Amino acid sequence: MPSIGDTKVRLLRGVVDDNIDVIQGVRTRRIARRKARVRLWVWLGVISVAVGYLSLPSQGVSRGGAPMTAPETVREIHSIAAEPVPEIEVPLAHPRPIDRNAIPLTVKTVVIDPGHGGDPGAIAESGLAEKDITLDIALRLRRLLQEAPFEVLLTRDMDRGLSLDQRVRFANENKADLFLSIHVNSMEPHTIRALETYYVGPTDDPHALNLASRENKESGYSLSDYKQILEKIYTDARREESHTAARTLHGELFHTLKHENPQLENRGVRTAPFVVLIGTQMPAVLIEIACLSNREEVELLTKQEYRETIALALAQGIRRYASGLSVAARKGS
Amino acid sequence: MEEGNDTLCVGIDLGTSRSSISASNGERHVIDSYVGWPVDMVARKLVKKSVLVGRDALDNRPMLELRRPLERGIMKEGSEKDQEAVQEILRHLLGLGGVKHKGKSKTRVRAVVGVPAEAFRVNRQNLRSTMEGIADSVMLVSEPFAVAYGLEALLHALVIDIGAGTADFCVMQGRYPTEEDQKTLPNAGDAIDEQLMKLIRERHQDAQFSIHMVREWKENSSFVGEAKNKVIVSAPIKGKATEIDITQEMRNACESILPPICETMITLLAKVDPEFQAKVRNNVILAGGTSLIAGLADAVTHALGELGGGRATVVKDPVFAGSDGSLAIAQDASSSDWEKLSL
Repeated sequence: MPSIGDTKVRLLRGVVDDNIDVIQGVRTRRIARRKARVRLWVWLGVISVAVGYLSLPSQGVSRGGAPMTAPETVREIHSIAAEPVPEIEVPLAHPRPIDRNAIPLTVKTVVIDPGHGGDPGAIAESGLAEKDITLDIALRLRRLLQEAPFEVLLTRDMDRGLSLDQRVRFANENKADLFLSIHVNSMEPHTIRALETYYVGPTDDPHALNLASRENKESGYSLSDYKQILEKIYTDARREESHTAARTLHGELFHTLKHENPQLENRGVRTAPFVVLIGTQMPAVLIEIACLSNREEVELLTKQEYRETIALALAQGIRRYASGLSVAARKGS
Repeated sequence: MEEGNDTLCVGIDLGTSRSSISASNGERHVIDSYVGWPVDMVARKLVKKSVLVGRDALDNRPMLELRRPLERGIMKEGSEKDQEAVQEILRHLLGLGGVKHKGKSKTRVRAVVGVPAEAFRVNRQNLRSTMEGIADSVMLVSEPFAVAYGLEALLHALVIDIGAGTADFCVMQGRYPTEEDQKTLPNAGDAIDEQLMKLIRERHQDAQFSIHMVREWKENSSFVGEAKNKVIVSAPIKGKATEIDITQEMRNACESILPPICETMITLLAKVDPEFQAKVRNNVILAGGTSLIAGLADAVTHALGELGGGRATVVKDPVFAGSDGSLAIAQDASSSDWEKLSL
């Protein structure tokens, strides 16, 4: 039997190695071999599915860091007709009841996060950049909501780079009651023009997970962290409120835009573990308002009127969400 | 192992409710994990400080913007103010531990800090960066592991460190614990406080009390099992100080953490090599502030009966067991190890 001294030396080596792993940002080495083998097989499976997926011409791809949609094989694409908003969600086991009382029943402060900035995000063939569209719509939305009146704060009001953490911190420090992150998608085939809205939650879609992993890269979270993060968030009241906000905003935007953009696909309200949705301490929604990969949508986006329509619909969605909360507050629910 | 005159090794248990420090110069201190900043100029003149930490902050809380910056044993994310508050707690602890930050005689600090067993890598990274400028080298270790190391319970032992934010489990099998050997639960002291508050409010609807009062009542009178004495506390009802009996509420709230803790303990024990399970069952060690609940060790021992019997004991000094263990690690690590972990 080894002496206590020998055991301590071995344990200290483990402590130091573990800490070096943390400093270097690599996966911890203290995983049991059996577990590592299981994960290896899981990942090989995921990678093979992903390779197959990427090789298909009709699937979505992300460009410039813009959020990418999930493949058609794992979800339904809904037509524009006045169908109910589809919801794609994978529940975790045994969620605890949500304590709605933890969320304030009023919306006073709205933080709008124009996606990207500094980095252009997705770029259309014409050179139109995601960062400029998101900022333009955010500025319009601020003007419209200030008439509401809400206190409206933007994470950026010019073309400048912001980390995900800075965006989250801004919303938390300002005690926002609602967080809205605006993005523009880029997908293949280029014929796709789609609207989709995310709120925080798990996904069984490896591509959505890959997307979240890429989008969240700078945050320091590893993929294996997500499960634990999401398990924690599943018990969190803001997730349910985020779902309500996402549904309201998505419904308003889709039903407004389909008149001017009849071929717009309704990709529904979905869950994904984006850091800006995980880290914010209030109901939070990320919305993909259009596709810069689609020429017709790019044409629409270049028109001020269309961008104003998007902003108007989002403002209306926020007002509806806020008034829903007020009604709930009056009823004492 | 090597330590110069200007080098101080410290072990820190950064807790959600209380934080403790054990230093190689013999200093040991525990503080409440609260930080407060005066809300305005008047408050600042009254408290005569720009920032208050620990009991000072709690006692003056009406005049302060009070922060409890740790949640479930880790720093709250996305808030600069909470990060600043953690830095204040660390500076304060190190000051109590004898660290001089000013002047020529700056002390070189090697700190081992305990974190929840299942803390995310990103939480560990955040804590490391928060300690920049406060310590020279930092090691982060899981809290129950630190306790085990300090007690030299390195083989055939299960440590359950029950703090305010989390209950952390670690099975020691003579090697550095794997993910499978450790577990963190949110069912700990804070969960008891919330439950106790809810139960008292249900039965004494007119009584006025705060979470701080509830916490104090629990710290004075917590128990599981049969009550030895009634728990009578004083709370204003319509402004008049009134004595209320919260014996049953106290018992129910304290016992609410037992099922998840015992269930997790049994799950971890079942994973141990069957040849050694009996040894581990007979060496279950409880540490952390919440392990001071009267009757807790007996209740855990009783739960071990389901597995064929065993024995749970509370460490002699639950409040300092984590920081003492961390200090032992800090002192045993070599200078070359510390060099690798410089900030």
